[in-house]
Amino acid sequence: MNSKLRYVSFALLVVFPSWLAAENGAASLFKSKCAMCHAEDGSGNSPAGKALKAKDLRSQETQSKSDAEISDVITKGRNKMPAFGQKLKPDQIQELVGYVRQLAKK
Amino acid sequence: MNWPSFPKRLESGLNGLCSQVSKLSRGASFRLAAFLCVTLFWVQGALAVPSYSRQTGLACSSCHYAPPELNAFGRKFKLEGYTFSTKPEISEDKKDHNSALHLLEALPLSAVFDTSFTSTKAPQPGTQNGNFEFPQAVSLFLAGAWASHVGSFAQVTYDAQADHFSWDNTDIRAAGTNGKLFGKQLTYGLTMNNNPTVEDLWNSTPAWGFPFVSTNTAPSPTAGAIINGGLAQDVAGLGGYAMWNDHLYFAGTIYRSEHLGASQPNDGTCCSFNIRGMAPYWRVAYQTTYGNHDIEIGTYGMHMKSTPGAITGAEDGYTDWAGDFQYNLTIPQWKNDVVSVRGTYIRENSSLVASAAAVPPTAGFVGHHLNTVEGDAEYHFGTRVSTTVGLFSVTGTADPILFPQAPVTGNFNGSPTSRGYIFNVAWWPQQNIGLTAQYTGYTRFNGGSTNYDQAGRNANGNNSIYVMARFVF
Repeated sequence: MNSKLRYVSFALLVVFPSWLAAENGAASLFKSKCAMCHAEDGSGNSPAGKALKAKDLRSQETQSKSDAEISDVITKGRNKMPAFGQKLKPDQIQELVGYVRQLAKK
Repeated sequence: MNWPSFPKRLESGLNGLCSQVSKLSRGASFRLAAFLCVTLFWVQGALAVPSYSRQTGLACSSCHYAPPELNAFGRKFKLEGYTFSTKPEISEDKKDHNSALHLLEALPLSAVFDTSFTSTKAPQPGTQNGNFEFPQAVSLFLAGAWASHVGSFAQVTYDAQADHFSWDNTDIRAAGTNGKLFGKQLTYGLTMNNNPTVEDLWNSTPAWGFPFVSTNTAPSPTAGAIINGGLAQDVAGLGGYAMWNDHLYFAGTIYRSEHLGASQPNDGTCCSFNIRGMAPYWRVAYQTTYGNHDIEIGTYGMHMKSTPGAITGAEDGYTDWAGDFQYNLTIPQWKNDVVSVRGTYIRENSSLVASAAAVPPTAGFVGHHLNTVEGDAEYHFGTRVSTTVGLFSVTGTADPILFPQAPVTGNFNGSPTSRGYIFNVAWWPQQNIGLTAQYTGYTRFNGGSTNYDQAGRNANGNNSIYVMARFVF
């Protein structure tokens, strides 16, 4: 049993710290705040996205909105989507707007 | 032997039922006490927790069909370590060799107040029927993000009959969401928890299964598999889990005994289950969503070697193999009402070497098995009302020493068989206020339908009506 515990401890020491590191950048911001519902590709085609009827961010409906409108939705929320205005800084929201634009090109 | 999905802190029963248990033979009382006093008195933390709502800015209904049933978003939130947040935090980004900080501005606390009324068809001997508990239980939760990748569901519960707070269901997890395997998304994590299946994402396994609420004053059947609540809050486990491509879920945890209220290090004298070495728990599940259909099918199980009342000597062995499924159908034509169907089958094989060799013996022989079948179907009228019908059955090896005769709680023929049904109606006038009426009926109880305890009590004498109000804030 002691050897088993040593293996577990070793695995924890190796794996755990990497999880706790904060991520940076629009992609990781999107992944941590948006992909939960909108999926990593922005399609909304995830079980959670389907449950909440999340928008396809690549769609014409979303992409035809102005940057200000998308920023406004992220800041204030809409329907079941929560507001991120208290959580994210304005420049982070602008990064996300830019990332949403990129999704349509992928 | 807990009662299938009669989780919930029946510590209330500590006074009443334990006094019944104490009338049994010494050997039998050990095993019965284990299940009745440790697991039957555990009230399932069947809850939606408002601190998650405060943290995410989302209504309870975003995660729950009806509390505690998780929808796909709720499962994702749990999978990702309860960390998703839209609210302000105190933060400092990582720089060079300095650590980062991501701390919620508000401590994620929640409270639940349960009050209830229970009446059984036949009064329990020497007691007053029609029992009003105010409160039945009060729970406090530390539930939310602790850091950017670490979060918790941690619960302490005050039980009116025991008149004290005690540690309840707890799941502390660290999650990573940026993994890739074979080009598909991999969400992975670690969990520390105190109840096998409490870390699970679906409502078809014991910790979060139906019935979601239950009385703590009506008699419950004696026999139950260890994974079906038998070890709840009596173990500590460390495990890992992973969800691949939003479809395939793996989890495994190793458990050791952790007896609340007993001296440490564990000398084993307090308790019926003392895990020898480590007890592994495993879980594999596949989920998929197409159209309005949401399906899960899986398997889970556990193996445990234990010595009753000691930490050395002969061992009892238990191996539980289980399968489960969950199906949810959303009906857009009916205002997105949801139909849920869930079920599980648990096969327990036990080798009670220590119990059979004990003096006096607490089992008549070594080889035993238990078969547990539970299933239920529920209709959700929006998020306001739900109705559920459930069936349950426990059958297995008859052993008059393991399941001895006793008034109300005993078995005259040594058979563990119990069968019955549950009707439940729940009304949520607000998403954080729940009113429930539940009827539980038995066609067989502890091996018999009539005079099952050889003291004149019939199985249907334990039929109960249970009415509960829950306030969550």
